[in-house]
Amino acid sequence: MDFKDLPDEELWLQMQDDLYDGLKDEVVEETKEALARGYSPTEVLAKGLVAGMDIVGVDFRDGVLFVPEVLMAANAMKAGMEILRPLLTQTGAPRIGTMVIGTVKGDIHDIGKNLVSMMMEGAGFEVINLGVNNDADKFVAAVKEHNADILGMSALLTTTMPYMKVVIQALKDEGLRDKVFVMVGGAPVSEAFAEEIEADAYGRDAATAVDIAKRYMAWKNAQRAAT
Amino acid sequence: MTTTPTTERRARRERDARRRQRGFTFVDAIKPLVNTLPLTEVLSPEGVDKIHRASMRLLKEIGVLIVDYPRAAETFRRHGAIVEERSDGQLVKIDEDTLLHFVRQAPASFVQRARNPAKDVPIGGRHTVFAPVYGPPFVLDLDRGRRQATIEDFRNFVRLTYMSEHLHHDGGTLCEPNDVDVKERHLDMLLAHITLSDKAFMGSVTHKENARDTVMMAEIVFGAEAIRERPAVLSLINASSPLRFDDRMFGALEVYAQAKQALLITPFLIAGAMSPVSMAATLAQQNAEALFGICYAQMLNPGTPCIYGSFLANIDLKSGAPCFGTPEGNLALYAGAQMARHYNLPYRSGGNFTASRIPDAQAGYESASTFVTTVQAGVNFVLHAAGWLEGGLIAGYEKFVLDLEMCGMMAKFVQGIGLDEEDFAWDAYAEVGPGSHFLGSQHTMRHYETAFYQHGVFNMDNYEKWESEGAEDAYKRANAVWKRMLQEYQPPVLDEGVKEALLEFAEKRRAEIRAGRLARE
Repeated sequence: MDFKDLPDEELWLQMQDDLYDGLKDEVVEETKEALARGYSPTEVLAKGLVAGMDIVGVDFRDGVLFVPEVLMAANAMKAGMEILRPLLTQTGAPRIGTMVIGTVKGDIHDIGKNLVSMMMEGAGFEVINLGVNNDADKFVAAVKEHNADILGMSALLTTTMPYMKVVIQALKDEGLRDKVFVMVGGAPVSEAFAEEIEADAYGRDAATAVDIAKRYMAWKNAQRAAT
Repeated sequence: MTTTPTTERRARRERDARRRQRGFTFVDAIKPLVNTLPLTEVLSPEGVDKIHRASMRLLKEIGVLIVDYPRAAETFRRHGAIVEERSDGQLVKIDEDTLLHFVRQAPASFVQRARNPAKDVPIGGRHTVFAPVYGPPFVLDLDRGRRQATIEDFRNFVRLTYMSEHLHHDGGTLCEPNDVDVKERHLDMLLAHITLSDKAFMGSVTHKENARDTVMMAEIVFGAEAIRERPAVLSLINASSPLRFDDRMFGALEVYAQAKQALLITPFLIAGAMSPVSMAATLAQQNAEALFGICYAQMLNPGTPCIYGSFLANIDLKSGAPCFGTPEGNLALYAGAQMARHYNLPYRSGGNFTASRIPDAQAGYESASTFVTTVQAGVNFVLHAAGWLEGGLIAGYEKFVLDLEMCGMMAKFVQGIGLDEEDFAWDAYAEVGPGSHFLGSQHTMRHYETAFYQHGVFNMDNYEKWESEGAEDAYKRANAVWKRMLQEYQPPVLDEGVKEALLEFAEKRRAEIRAGRLARE
C-alpha cells in the first residue's frame, strides 16, 4: 500500500485527494494509518477528512463537481467518520454536531432533504434522518432522544410549509426551543418565511445548509468552552 | 486499492483541468451534427411541385437580369438560354430542361478541407455544420457598446471561433474590418483565418481579383491539386434580388467554379421588398434565383460543389426594417429545406437570428425560435450560428457566447433518444426501487458526465446564491466568458514555410494593389 510509505504531510494530501475522488476504502485505510502514526482523532479529522471535504465543497459550489461525485465523496467521509466518531467521544473533543432532519407532515418530497442529509454527514455531522411525512411529535421525540444540536425541516409544497411553525410551537411547549437550532429549507421556503415562523436559519441549498450548521456548531462550542 | 510501487501520491482526479474547463472548452477536432430525428416539413409533395413549377415559370417567362457581366449571359446563351439585351444588362430566360440538366451535375454532398484534417467539414446529407456570423459592419460588447468593427475585432472573432467546440467552421467575414483599406482587407481576413485558426474558412467575394487571391492562398496552404480534388474554400454568392446577379458576385463565382471551389448560392430575400409579400411567391423566387446561380456554376465547371442557399426574412411593413424569428420566416426556412432536398442539394439557411440590438430577451426568443427551426429543418450549413445582432449589422461578443450555448444544446438534441438495454437502466431500479433517488446509483455513476447537456454560460443557481454572487444576467456572464476564452487562446500550429509564403504573397499583392495594378494583367 503506497500511502504507508508517504511522509505525514503527504499522507494528509493523499487523504484529501482520495476523498475528493470518492475512494471510500482508501480513505478508511488512510484514516487508520494516520491514527496508527499517533495522530489524535481531532487532528485526523481536521487535517485529512475536513480539509478534503472543504475542497469538495468549494468545487461543488463553483459547479466543477457533479452531484453524484459529491455524494461519493460524502460517503467516503462518512466511512472515515465511523472510525473516528467513537474515539472523538472518548477524548472529549469538541462536538461536530448531531442533526435530526425530516420532511414535514403531508410532504413526501425528500430528495432535497436527503441531499442535505448526505452533505451534513459528509461534513462529519451525525445525522438522524427521519424520512418523510413527520408530525410534530416525531420531531420532538427525536430531538430529545438524540440530544440533537440541530433540527432540519424541509417542504416542497407551499401547502405543507406552514406545518413547520407547528413543529416549532411543539418544541416551545416541550421547553426544547432554546436547546436546538432550527433550520428550514425547500424550494418554496425563503429567508422571510424562516423569520416569520421563528426558525433560526434558512438553508437555500445543501452547501449553504452545511456552512450554516458548521458556523452554528463553532459558536456553540465556543459558548460551551467559555462557561 | 492501487499498488503502485512508488511513494508518489495519486493525483486528485483532474481537478485543475476541470476547474479550467468551466464554461466552453477547447477541443482539437470538430464533431458536426448528425441529425437522427425526423425532419419537420411544412409542404406536401404537391406543395413542393407547385413551388418548383412556379419557379420554372419565373425563369422562363420573367427571366434573371445579369448586370455588368455580359460573359455570364453569353455562357447561358451558348447553352441554350434566351438572352435579351436591356439598357441595364442582359435578361436571361431559361427553360426547365436546360436548367435541371446542369443543376443535376452538382454533387449531393461534399467535404470541405480544413487546415487541420481533423476539422474537415462534411456538407450535405444528415450533417449540420455551424459557422459564425458573416458580414456585420459593427461590433458590440458590454464594455464598449456598439462601434465600427476593426481588424482586431475580426481577429478576436476568429480566435473565439477557433476556441469554440460548438462551431465547426470559421465562416468568412466575421465582421467588416473598417480600419483596413477596402481594396486589401480580404488579404488580412484570409491571413487571420489561416494563421489564427485551423478550421475550414470562406473566401472573399467582393471582387473577382479577391477571389483569385483567395484561391492562390488556398493553393499555398493545401496545394493546387489537393484543392481541386476536394475544395478548401467555400464562398458566399448572393443574388442581388429580385431576380438579378451582378459582376462582382458572378465574377467571383466564375473564379471559384473554375478552381472547383465550393459555392454557397444565396438569394437575399426580405419578403415585401425583394419579393412579394406572399411566402409562395417568395419561395418560388428563391428557388429560381438559387438554381440559376447553381446552373451557372455547373455550366462553367460541372461537378463544382454548390449549396442551395436561403436568406429569407420579411420586412416590417410599418418601418421597413427586416424582422427575424417570425412565423413566416420560419415556415419558409422549413419549405426551403424541402426544395433543396427535392433537387438533392445541400441546404444553407437559418442561424441565431434576431432584430434586437443587444442580447436581451427579444434576442433570446427570436434566436431560439429560428435556431430550433434551423436544426429541425435539416439545414446542412448554418451561417450566422453565433454572434448575430440587429439584423446582421452587429457582431456581438456576448451574443456570440450565448449562441454557443444554443449550438451545444442542438448538438445533443439531434442525437435523439437512446433505446438500448442500458438506456432503460434496469439495474438502477433494482438498486433504488420506489421512493429514494437515483443520484448515487451505479447507473448514474456510469453516465452522469454525459447524460445531460452541460451548460457553458447559462446559470442554474437559486435566486439567493445568484444574488449573493452579484446578480449577473446572462449578458454579464457572457462578457466574462469571451474574455476568458481570448485570454486562454493559443494559436494553432502552422508550418513556418507555409506561413512565410503566405505573408510574402500577401505583401506582394498589397504592393500591387497599392500601385493600382491588377494581378496577372
